[in-house]
Amino acid sequence: MPTYKAPLNDVRFVLNEVFSVGQLAELPGHEDHTPDLIEAVLEEGAKLAENVLQPLNRSGDEEGCHYENGVVRTPAGFPEAYAQFIAGGWTGVSADPEYGGQGLPHVVNFVLEEFLCSANLSFGMYPGLSHGAYNALYLHGTDELKRAYLPKLVDGTWSGTMCLTEPHCGTDLGMIRTKAVPDDSGDGSFAITGTKIFISAGEHDLTENILHLVLAKLPDAPPGTKGISLFLVPKFLPRDDGTPGMRNGVLCGSIEHKMGIKASSTCVMNFDAAKGWLVGQPHKGMRAMFTMMNAARLGVGIQGLGLAEVSYQNAVSYARDRLQGRSLTGTKAPEKPADPIIVHPDVRKNLMTMRAYTEGCRALACWIGLNIDIFSKHPDPAVRAEADDLVALMTPVVKAFFTDIGFETTNMGVQIYGGHGYIREYGMEQFVRDARIAQIYEGANGIQALDLVGRKLPQDMGRLLRRFFHPVSEFLEENQEDPALLEFVIPLAKAFGKLQQATALIAQRGMKNPDEAGAASTDYLRLFALVAVGFMWVRMVKVAQAKLPQANGDARFYDTKIRTARFYVTKLLPQVNALFLTIMAGSAPLMDIDADAF
Amino acid sequence: MEIRSAAVIGAGVMGSGIAAHIANAGIPVFLLDIVPQDVKDGRGNDRSVVARTAIEKMLKTDPAPFMHKKNARLVTPGNIDDDLEKLATVDWIVEAVVENPAVKSDLYARLDKVRKPGSIVSSNTSTIPLKNLIEGQSDRFAQDFLITHFFNPPRYMRLLEVVSGPATRAEAVTSLSTFADKRLGKGVVQCKDRPGFIANRIGTYWIQAAINEAMDLGLTVEEADAVVGRPMGIPKTGVFGLVDLVGLDLMPYVSRSLLKTLPPGDPYRDIYREPELFTRMIAEGYTGRKGKGGFYRMNKSGGARVKEAVDLQTGQYRPAGKPSLDSVAAAKGGLRKLVEHPDKGGTYARRVLVGLLSYAAGLVPEIADDITGVDQAMRLGYNWKFGPFELIDQLGADWLADALRAEGKAVPALLETASGKTFYRTENGKLQFLTTEGGYADLVRPEGVLLLSDIKRAGKPIARNASASLWDIGDGVACLEFTGKMNALDSDVMALIRKAAGMIGDGKGDWKALVVHNEGDNFSVGVNLGLALFAVNIALWPQVEQTVQEGQETYKALKYAPFPVVAAPSGMALGGGCEILLHCAAVQAHAETYMGLVEVGVGVIPGWGGCKEMLTRATLNKKRPGGPMPPIAQTFETISLAKVAKSADEARDLMFLRPTDGITMNRDRLLADAKAKALALAADYKPPEPVKLRLPGPTARAALDLAVEGFQLQGKATPHDVTVSSALASVLSGGDTDITVELDEDELLELERTAFMRLVRNSNTVARIEHMLTTGKPLRN
Repeated sequence: MPTYKAPLNDVRFVLNEVFSVGQLAELPGHEDHTPDLIEAVLEEGAKLAENVLQPLNRSGDEEGCHYENGVVRTPAGFPEAYAQFIAGGWTGVSADPEYGGQGLPHVVNFVLEEFLCSANLSFGMYPGLSHGAYNALYLHGTDELKRAYLPKLVDGTWSGTMCLTEPHCGTDLGMIRTKAVPDDSGDGSFAITGTKIFISAGEHDLTENILHLVLAKLPDAPPGTKGISLFLVPKFLPRDDGTPGMRNGVLCGSIEHKMGIKASSTCVMNFDAAKGWLVGQPHKGMRAMFTMMNAARLGVGIQGLGLAEVSYQNAVSYARDRLQGRSLTGTKAPEKPADPIIVHPDVRKNLMTMRAYTEGCRALACWIGLNIDIFSKHPDPAVRAEADDLVALMTPVVKAFFTDIGFETTNMGVQIYGGHGYIREYGMEQFVRDARIAQIYEGANGIQALDLVGRKLPQDMGRLLRRFFHPVSEFLEENQEDPALLEFVIPLAKAFGKLQQATALIAQRGMKNPDEAGAASTDYLRLFALVAVGFMWVRMVKVAQAKLPQANGDARFYDTKIRTARFYVTKLLPQVNALFLTIMAGSAPLMDIDADAF
Repeated sequence: MEIRSAAVIGAGVMGSGIAAHIANAGIPVFLLDIVPQDVKDGRGNDRSVVARTAIEKMLKTDPAPFMHKKNARLVTPGNIDDDLEKLATVDWIVEAVVENPAVKSDLYARLDKVRKPGSIVSSNTSTIPLKNLIEGQSDRFAQDFLITHFFNPPRYMRLLEVVSGPATRAEAVTSLSTFADKRLGKGVVQCKDRPGFIANRIGTYWIQAAINEAMDLGLTVEEADAVVGRPMGIPKTGVFGLVDLVGLDLMPYVSRSLLKTLPPGDPYRDIYREPELFTRMIAEGYTGRKGKGGFYRMNKSGGARVKEAVDLQTGQYRPAGKPSLDSVAAAKGGLRKLVEHPDKGGTYARRVLVGLLSYAAGLVPEIADDITGVDQAMRLGYNWKFGPFELIDQLGADWLADALRAEGKAVPALLETASGKTFYRTENGKLQFLTTEGGYADLVRPEGVLLLSDIKRAGKPIARNASASLWDIGDGVACLEFTGKMNALDSDVMALIRKAAGMIGDGKGDWKALVVHNEGDNFSVGVNLGLALFAVNIALWPQVEQTVQEGQETYKALKYAPFPVVAAPSGMALGGGCEILLHCAAVQAHAETYMGLVEVGVGVIPGWGGCKEMLTRATLNKKRPGGPMPPIAQTFETISLAKVAKSADEARDLMFLRPTDGITMNRDRLLADAKAKALALAADYKPPEPVKLRLPGPTARAALDLAVEGFQLQGKATPHDVTVSSALASVLSGGDTDITVELDEDELLELERTAFMRLVRNSNTVARIEHMLTTGKPLRN
């Protein structure tokens, strides 16, 4: 059975020492959210993840969800765990206090999400979807809808879904067929009819009601994505006192049998003249949906991070315990029949790769999370706009890179275990299976790369890019004189140079031929992410180097930070050179083959 | 006869504008109008008040009728009661009075008594046939009389339609046409004495057809303008926007006067309509931009500015939309793609074009001897990119004939003649046109006209890259043309300039000189700002600095080239596009050249030697006041206020042009004039001697900073203006120098470069660049 300990030490380092999370207390609404309070919340969250959710991860995977006559039952222990989850108020951590939330910074929620995903990704899906529904309704719903539904989403007694995909369309939502017809009852509602598939948490036994946010077309809808509207469709229509009343015309037709996240119910949802209410403006549903999806995309990125962390923890303990053969440079554990496999360079390479990515991505997630808080609460609109730009730019990078890393590192975890990783007993293969979906849903990673090169990169002649490139450029200039930091600054500067060149090249070529941008997109996103994570590493080294001389019990922590950074800049960051070359090679090697020749 | 003096009678918008433009040519001109009744009745004593007021008003008009305020002094106001005798000395009298045959006839008779023998009289009429105008006049008058039809505004519209009668002396036509061509810079088109002449005859039909079909097919005004504008090479105002510009109330007037004189079977009679909506709009004062609004208006009532358009069905204003028609997108693939598109935009385009083009084809040779005058008139008079026959070539003469047959309509004879042919063709590098007999004739340019487009048609460039080309324009002169989007300057342009310099070598071999010229609307508005911003956004500082240095070195190499470099700009020459002119041995500028160093608008300073050259000019100016400060202060003012000369004449005042630089009135003659200048200079050319400057350093800088702080206190300068001005002050005062030290050009360039790089990394500068690119307007931060 895998084990899990929330990485509270590393989180403390990133939040307090690298990003001075205390600065958030200067923002209106966060006055009470001191580092001490944040730490206390995180410690409680860690306990829940470790003691309540993680123990259900393997069993949930083995048992899966059960479907019978439109009713879905989650695996044993889930309803009880969920009850504990909402009793602790974990569904409303960063929600608006006006609707019963705790109003904590988003960055805190990011960290808690990581814990949750490490412990039990399937379980995390249920509150995760509610959080997305909360965002859409909070930002686009009428006051009436918000008053009626948000408190229930926040306290977790009701949950939410996002109903986008239909049997014939996923990425290209302009093609959806679900219809919304104004109801003649005169209550301003609409009758929604259609079929949605792959609906996570579409039906389950954790909450007394489920709120579906559904994309559908009004009768006068213009064609394509400009004609999509967003509707709120509750499973049970609330009575006047707010309790669930009459059953609405939405039914789960079946659940999917999947490669991973088996304890998460993935449903076919049939809407048959179901009563729904418009969220946002008619035909402007894509905009509302995107607020939901952008938050969700970052959340999915964190799923990759969470799985990377838990896989790493178990891989390390196995590599320490597993005795097999002797070190190439002579016996290291003569008292034992064989050396632990952690003595082997290649095993270490896997472990260090997992560690360096995980810690680097965690720092990046926190940087973005902090910027979401600045965007939400900063009094200066110009500062808010800059933060929003950075978050928009980094959203596809976080989503795609973190989930790719999640899959790559959980695979490394299996490799460390050898045959024991491949069998189910040790739980390592479950991480791989669970990680795989994150590369696909909420916009496949290829779509994220297109979003980056096609939308984010050219926007206003690179305005979004400025929010990342200028801080990096300034950091490099400020630190080019520090001899101790030089071994880290130089590789980052070189990699950053490659990123600048690649960016200019794609902008130039992509303007003439969009296929050029498309062909470069995935490589470019990874190049971008490697530099971004590299930036995080050098910032972390700078802090660690400053702290190390005075450190007592923490000396080991800071020392290891510096060594891991060295591994990152020398062993992982150089991938940018190969990526740069493949970007340079252009689209011809992909497009110069006739489709018939495949 | 050479025209050395002139008079204009009628000081309305057209008459006074014509007088102003004659003054722009340096010709003294009388401007006469009537003595107003109230003055006659003793209220007021200025009997020439009408003309005098018109001149005063023109000095405040934007766009300015005068190329330089001093030109107003060449216009002498007067009135027809007291001053007619003064016309005894003038060579050319233009009549621009009310379109009333009786009034004109009476005036002509009076003029005939005072004017000198052989002087030319012309009418600016747009509606009355020449044969009617000379009715009852003396034979002598008829011999000296013609119609000169100017377009509004006379300074800026390049078309001049000239109509002569059977009695008109050939010499009078030649003298006047030559004068209009060379001195007034007009494109002269000889027209026959037919109603509406050429441009308005065809233009009126086009407007009517475009309105009718839009209403019949249910297009919105935005959709209609999106189709009959850009995709057809017509200004983006399209048809409804044009009517707003001209004035709705003028339309029925023009139409009715045409109807009076058009032949009975003219197709315009069939399509003529006066929609009730238009009548109502005119009655209610919605006459276009000059009125309460037209088909479009800016509604400012809600606080914000909302562009609105009239719903053609209901007549009500509603917010203007951005039409998205697939046919308009398809038009990028050619005009045929537009007219054959199945959506309503395609149908609309087809109906309008089939009507318009068959109408035009049916008018030759009735209104002009051949097709070239018709095309020329529509290009210059309506700013169409292509004349009707060029449009027919894009669709195919046979396609048009087939379309007419399919609708059961008659095919004009000229179109039958063109069957299987094109109206224009290139033969042995020469442009030819189809004659009415069905043969081809060379399109002969007048003496002294050299067009780069003709040279380009005839051969291949000597060298080219993505942003510039180099052409052989004969006699050992090469021409460098900017070819990038908006003629933007980038490192490709610089590379080709260096290549050209290398090719020409010492100027003693096959190549003698270089001309920098292009036929774009604007010479160049400087660096490609979008690319620059992108480089700034991704913090590519070394590359940005390299771009600055490369430009400095390239322009400096041009300045000291062993052969003469002559620039021939027209339109806007701003920023880097102005700086290149400052480095040339000579400039031959089109009169309509607008020069300026406007870099501060985007938060930087001129970085390609503009500061250095302007400072050097101001310092070397012999007429300047003594002491080190005046040239610095003058240059500082020009650059920090981003002054733009509104004509080549004004550019002289600002020292963007030197007294030795030339001005050409007619754009078509610009390249030939520049080439001649280059060859004249090449005879014994010596590059300029390098100049070293003694500058006062920090004391001067402090003085300028103080002045800017004053402006800030008065609210005339924004915080970032202060930063930018301060950087400019540091360059112009010589940095940390003092008056005992001589600074050479490279040192000044380094100061420019350093200040530029400091500014470009300032986030307020980045905000200015971004704002300019996204809104087209400067940000005042």
